[in-house]
Amino acid sequence: MNNENIIEIKDLKKTYENGVIKALDGINLEIKKGESVSIIGPSGSGKSTLLNMIGALDKADEGSINVAGIDLMQENDLSDFRLNEIGFVFQLHNLIPNLTVLENVQTPLIETVISNKKMEERALKILKSVNLADKINQKPTKLSGGERQRVAIARALVNHPSIILADEPTGALDSKTQDVILDLLLDIHKQENVTLIMVTHEHDVANKAERSIYVLDGKIKEIKKN
Amino acid sequence: MKFRDLIIKNIFRNKSRSILTVIGIAIGVAAVVGLGLVTDNLSASTQNALTAGAADFSVVSGTSNGNNGGGPPGGSNQLINQTYVSEIQQISGVSSTAGVLRTMTDLSNTNSTNSSSTSTNNTFGGGNFRSMTTLIGIDNSSLSMDDVVITNGSVYSNDNEVIIGKNAAQSLNKTIGENISISNQTFKVVGIYETGNFMDDNGIVMSLSKLQNLTGDTGQVSLVLVKASNDTDASNLASTIEAKYPNQLSTSTSLSGMNRMNNGLDVIKSGSWAVSLLAVLVGGIVVLVTMMKAVSERTREIGVLRAIGWSQKRILSMIIGESLVLSLIAIVVGLAIGIGLVELLSTTQILQGITPSFSASLILKGIGVALFLGIIGGIYPAYRASRLSPTEALRYE
Repeated sequence: MNNENIIEIKDLKKTYENGVIKALDGINLEIKKGESVSIIGPSGSGKSTLLNMIGALDKADEGSINVAGIDLMQENDLSDFRLNEIGFVFQLHNLIPNLTVLENVQTPLIETVISNKKMEERALKILKSVNLADKINQKPTKLSGGERQRVAIARALVNHPSIILADEPTGALDSKTQDVILDLLLDIHKQENVTLIMVTHEHDVANKAERSIYVLDGKIKEIKKN
Repeated sequence: MKFRDLIIKNIFRNKSRSILTVIGIAIGVAAVVGLGLVTDNLSASTQNALTAGAADFSVVSGTSNGNNGGGPPGGSNQLINQTYVSEIQQISGVSSTAGVLRTMTDLSNTNSTNSSSTSTNNTFGGGNFRSMTTLIGIDNSSLSMDDVVITNGSVYSNDNEVIIGKNAAQSLNKTIGENISISNQTFKVVGIYETGNFMDDNGIVMSLSKLQNLTGDTGQVSLVLVKASNDTDASNLASTIEAKYPNQLSTSTSLSGMNRMNNGLDVIKSGSWAVSLLAVLVGGIVVLVTMMKAVSERTREIGVLRAIGWSQKRILSMIIGESLVLSLIAIVVGLAIGIGLVELLSTTQILQGITPSFSASLILKGIGVALFLGIIGGIYPAYRASRLSPTEALRYE
């Protein structure tokens, strides 16, 4: 594996429903450390499946996929990999409704061995960086859509991951909030030198990344520099 | 935030579901503890009555089935001639004897009407069993042979005085110094006694001659209590007496009486276990269904937790942890219901005379049932939750 690359994918294939649906049909892709990449394509093109493969949420049928030095085809339990290397941001924030903002951000840290005090310190620091210091004791239901997504971003960052995987992170937001969230993600990517991979179906969003990868019918049709 | 804080927060997330789960487990705990309190008391009462008595065995009519080894009278109540008391006393190996006349009467209206009707042998077993009071006639010098222990007051010294059992004192609302009317005759209560036998504790003891006079059974007794000399085997002595009076007398040892009682108690215990088992089964199903529902409602959330790096083991621990915390709450609720209900019923007619018999093992059984239900009810939903594919869970609507 090239030292500059954080992700190397070779001839990756994934089918569903006993091979009837070809979600990924021979994907080859390399992504450098600290790069920002958007994966764009219409619904059902395979872009979210590709993101799930990189985040080890699903396993491919064929090919090879190496992320942050881990061969994802060989490992069975990849929860440690997700904990240490990946930060997920979903289209629907997916926060736990009965926990406060501060507690939601701390949830990934429960799986670690760090003390309760340090957990809280780390979560507070990140919440400050996403301008939510005054909302730490609020429940997600009391927040606006943009605020919820900022909490989700803080949760994705709390473990200092090397890759942020964002699946339609602005899909459920109005255009003004969409810009704020997108700028926040790109700022974090630059400041923390974290690799950012965003799935979107909007060209405006996709063009904000350094590279855009166009996926159609489970294949990469085009890769362009922005 | 600690892991345990998350577990506790999750429990209070859906209060009605958590309450339902707690009730399900608490029913199992309450059934095991409540029924255990009653059956343990019956067992202890029987053992007290049959093993702690001063008399080794009793002699009854050879035509009766003999069931008076210090225990509650039952079956036939054939009387025997009182002369047997002194005759048996003469037999070698006999240390002491005492004649006892037993009958039952309904005194439930005595308090309000100040009158009563004493039942005779002919009415024995009739009427409402729970409202019947046992009347025991025995000389005051022989009370210890019938396990009678005065807990308050003194022994009767004449025919106008009686002592009453602790349960009778409670049910008839009588205490020392008060009068009690039996068969239109007034007696003064001079003492409260306890035997450890719930039937006898619901009785009134007076001199043998007075009871004979009341029932018209002069010169007759229900049974003769016999105590063997220290160097004599009670079973052999009982056989000797039966051989001496063939077809006239039979003996009933404490041991055989206990065996009979134990058989009866075994049936009661089996019944109580069957009821408990049913309650535990119902509790288990309630826990299983509510925990399955809890997991199903949180499928998407479990997917998110898996995506952010939680291991299968952590998800498993969370669900089982929630189930166990609910069990701990149910232990308190179940014990309170079980013990409270038995305590309450023991003060009413329903469980009159039953004193709840607390023991550490019974409480541990209750705790064990709750933890068992918590683990069993939680383990399958927890296993299913931990096995959820993160992508499928995240797609769950």
